[in-house]
Amino acid sequence: MSRPRALENIRVVDFSWVRAGPWATRWLGALGAEIIKIEWPESERGRLPSTTTPRNAEVNLNTSGNFNDTNVNKKSLSLNVRSAKGLEIVKRLIAISDVVIENFSSRVLRNWGLGYDELCRIKPDIVYVSMSGYGHTGRNHHYTTFGPVAQAVSGLTYLSGLPDKPPAGWGWSYMDDTGGMYGAMCALTGLYHRNMTGQGQHIDLSQMVASVPLNGPALLDFTVNGRGSRRAGFPPGNRAHWPGTPLVSNYRGPTVAPHNAYRTHPGGYNDWCVIVCHSDEEWQRLVQMMGAPSWAGAEKFATVAGRLRHQEELDEHIEAWSMTAEKYQLTERCQAAGVRALPVQSAEDRVEHDPQLRHRQMYQAMEHPALGIHKVQNAPFKFSQTPASNHLPSPMIGQHTQEIVEGLLGYSHEALRAGFDDGTFWPARRARFPYMEEMLQ
Amino acid sequence: MTDAQTLPGPLAGLRILELADETGQFCGKLLGDLGADVVKIEPPGGEGSRRVGPFLDDIPHPERSLSFWYYNTSKRGITLNLATADGRALFERLAAASDVILETFRPGFLASLALDHETLCKQNPRLIMCSLTPFGQTGPWRDYLSSDLLHMAAGGEMASSGYDEADVPSAPPIAPGGGNAWHMGCHFAYMAIMAALVHRTVSGLGQYIDVSIHDACALTTEAAIANYVYRGEVVRRQTGRHHAAGATPRTQFRAKDGTYVCALIGGRLNPRFVGELADLLDSYGMAGDLKDPKYQDQAFITENTSHIIDDLIANFIASLPAEEVYHAAQERGFTWGAVRAPEALVGDAHLHDRGFWKQVEHKELGRSFVYPGEPAIYNGSSWRISARAPLIGEHNTEIFCDELGLSRGELLVLAENRAI
Repeated sequence: MSRPRALENIRVVDFSWVRAGPWATRWLGALGAEIIKIEWPESERGRLPSTTTPRNAEVNLNTSGNFNDTNVNKKSLSLNVRSAKGLEIVKRLIAISDVVIENFSSRVLRNWGLGYDELCRIKPDIVYVSMSGYGHTGRNHHYTTFGPVAQAVSGLTYLSGLPDKPPAGWGWSYMDDTGGMYGAMCALTGLYHRNMTGQGQHIDLSQMVASVPLNGPALLDFTVNGRGSRRAGFPPGNRAHWPGTPLVSNYRGPTVAPHNAYRTHPGGYNDWCVIVCHSDEEWQRLVQMMGAPSWAGAEKFATVAGRLRHQEELDEHIEAWSMTAEKYQLTERCQAAGVRALPVQSAEDRVEHDPQLRHRQMYQAMEHPALGIHKVQNAPFKFSQTPASNHLPSPMIGQHTQEIVEGLLGYSHEALRAGFDDGTFWPARRARFPYMEEMLQ
Repeated sequence: MTDAQTLPGPLAGLRILELADETGQFCGKLLGDLGADVVKIEPPGGEGSRRVGPFLDDIPHPERSLSFWYYNTSKRGITLNLATADGRALFERLAAASDVILETFRPGFLASLALDHETLCKQNPRLIMCSLTPFGQTGPWRDYLSSDLLHMAAGGEMASSGYDEADVPSAPPIAPGGGNAWHMGCHFAYMAIMAALVHRTVSGLGQYIDVSIHDACALTTEAAIANYVYRGEVVRRQTGRHHAAGATPRTQFRAKDGTYVCALIGGRLNPRFVGELADLLDSYGMAGDLKDPKYQDQAFITENTSHIIDDLIANFIASLPAEEVYHAAQERGFTWGAVRAPEALVGDAHLHDRGFWKQVEHKELGRSFVYPGEPAIYNGSSWRISARAPLIGEHNTEIFCDELGLSRGELLVLAENRAI
C-alpha cells in the first residue's frame, strides 16, 4: 500500500501562469494536493514562446521543456473563465476546493467576478492566495513585475556585483522562484490555520514586498547604524571584504580571507572553485593542502587581519595553485582535509556530475506524452511518513478537461461536447489536439 | 493597518524548539512572526550566529549583532548544554510538550545523544522534527563543510550571475550577497514543516523531515536546468540580466544620478510596444524619430533594435533620475524598475501604505528600531514581531521554572554545572 501524501485530499484551483505562481503550485502538488490548472490557449503565458523545446520537436503549447519542469504534479482544465458559462463552471469547482491561487496583477480576479468576497460566498472557508507584483493594497498596487524588476526595486540586485561596476544582479528570476516559494508557504500556512480554526482567509502576497525582508541585515545596518549599502567596496564580489576599503560587515557571514572564486584546470568558462577559510586553523589546513609553499609562510598571511589586508596577493597565489587541478578533484582534496571548498557548477554539472544531487535523486526521469522521457527537478525534502516527489508529468493543455468536468463536477458528456462547440472549453475556431477529439468521442 | 492586526497569528498555539545556527535561524523567524511560540535553544554563552556582524554602533558583542537581531525576532531564548545529562533530560521534557523541533546539527549528532526523532517520538508521537543541513542526512557530501558562498557555487547561482565581457573582461562568476543560500534552505524547510503540520491535523501523527540546503539552492535557478535538459545548452552570464544560451539585449541602463534602471525590452519590440515607448519618451521630449510611422513596421523595428535600445532608451534614462524613470514608466504600464540600494526602501511610499516597517522595542537599551515587516498580508490572522531577538538565556527562568516547575535553587545548580 502506498503511503499517504501530506496534502492528501486538498484541492487547489490554480489560475497562475508564467513562473512564480506555477512554481508555488508545483510544490503543493509534490506534497500531494490535487492541482487543477485553469488555462485558456488564447491568453496562455508560460507554454509559449519556448526556448526550451527540444530541437527535434514541433513548437506548440505542449512542448516547452521549461513549462514541463515548472508544472509537474498538476492537471489542466482548459476553460474560458471570461464567459458566463465558464465562470459558472469554475465557481462549481471552487465550491469543492480548498485553495484558490493566482498571480495576476491586482484587480484581475475581482474584475472576473471572483474577488475574495465572492470566493467566500462560493466557499466560506476558502484559502485565497493572491501573488501579485505589488500586492492588492498600497498606492503602487497597479505596478507590474517580473522577477528582475522585483529584484531591482527591492534592493536584491544591488547586493550582487563588483565594487565600482554596474550591479551584476541575479542571472535569473530569483524572485519568481522565491516568490513561488512564498506562494506555497502562504497557502500551507492558510491551510493549517483553516484546519485549526475553520476560518479561511485572503493572503495578499506581493513579489516586490516579499523581496525586501531578504535584505534584513543590510536594512538594519541602515535603520540602526545609519550605514547605507552605497559605499566604497560594496558589494565585494565574491569576497567578504574588498581590500583597501573600510572593514565592515558585508552581510555574507564572517569577514575572512581567503573567501573567493578561483580558476581551476583546464580554465574553461565554468572551471572555478570557491574556497573559504573561517579561521586560522582552516587557513593552516589549506596551506598544508597546497604543500606548504614558502609564500604561504609569510608573516603577513598568518593572521586574518593580514590576509584581509593582502587579499590581492593571497588570491593570486591561491589561484596559481588552484589552476593545477580540476574543480571536483580540488573539492574532494580540500574537503578531505577540512577546508571549505566547492565547485562552481553549471546546470550540466549539477545534472551529470554532482554526486550528492545524484544520491538525493534530485533529477528524476519522467515520461511526458509530447516530450518523451526527460529529467525533471525533484523535491528537496525527504519526509519519513508522507513522501513528496513528482508523480505526474506536466499536463498537456486541457488534458484533464473531461476528467474534471464530467468526473469531478458531474456534468454530462453532452454538456462537455456542447462546451467544446460553444467555445467554453476550447476556442471554437481553434484546431483541437488529438487528445481533445478523443475525449469528445 | 487592518483589523487583522489584533488577531492571533495563523500559527498561534504551536510550540517550536529551534536549535539552529546561522543556516536555520531564518526559518524560526518565519514561524515566530506568524504567531508560533518559538523557543530558541542556545548553548551556554550563546549561539555562534551572535558573532556575525554588523553590530550596533560597530561594537562587537553577542547582544549587539544586527544579523542575529534580524533573524531571531519573535522567539524566546533559553540556554541548554546537550553535552550534559541534565541538559539532555531537560531537552527531553521540552520535546515532549512541543510540536516541532528545527535543528541544524551535523548529521548524526542528535542520534549520538539519543535525542533523534525516533527516540523522542516515543513519548510524543505528534512530534515533527526537521533537520536542515547543508547537504542532507545521507550521501557522499553529507559531512562536507559549507558556507553561503560555497552553496552559491555548487547550487548553480554563480554559474548564472556575472558580467558581459564588455563590462568586466574575464569576470569571475559572481555570487549574489546577503546570505541567500540560507534563505533558500529555510524557505523549503518552512514549507516542509507546514506540510507536516497540515498532515498532522488529519492524521494526528508527527514525522521526521530531512531538508538539504544544497538541494534547495540547486532548485533555485529558474530555467537553467531545463535549458540543459531539453536543449543541451549551458547558459552564459550577462550583466544585470538573465543568463542565456546566446547574447540578449541589455536591460540595465545608467540613469542621470549614477544609479541604474532595469528596463525589460528584449522580446517585446513590436509596433504596439514601440508606440507606447514613443509616448513615454515623448512626454519628456525625447522620442527622437520613434514617432515616425516607419516604426509601425515590424521588420523596420527589428533592423533598428540597437538604435531603439542603445540610443533612444539609453539616452532617455540617462537624462533622468532612476526613481523618476521607474514611476513614469510603471504608470504607463512598463515593467521597469529602479535598481535601488536597500536603504532606499525605507522611504518607499508603497511600503508605507502597506504598514510594512515595524518599530521594535529594545527595552534594555531604552530604544526602538525600525525592522522590515511582512512579505504577505493575512486578512484573517496577523503577522507581527512579537519581541526583539532574545538575550542569552533571557527566558531560562520563565521556561525552566514557571513552565517546567524547577525551583530557583535547581536552576542555580544547573547553571553552576554548565547544564544551562
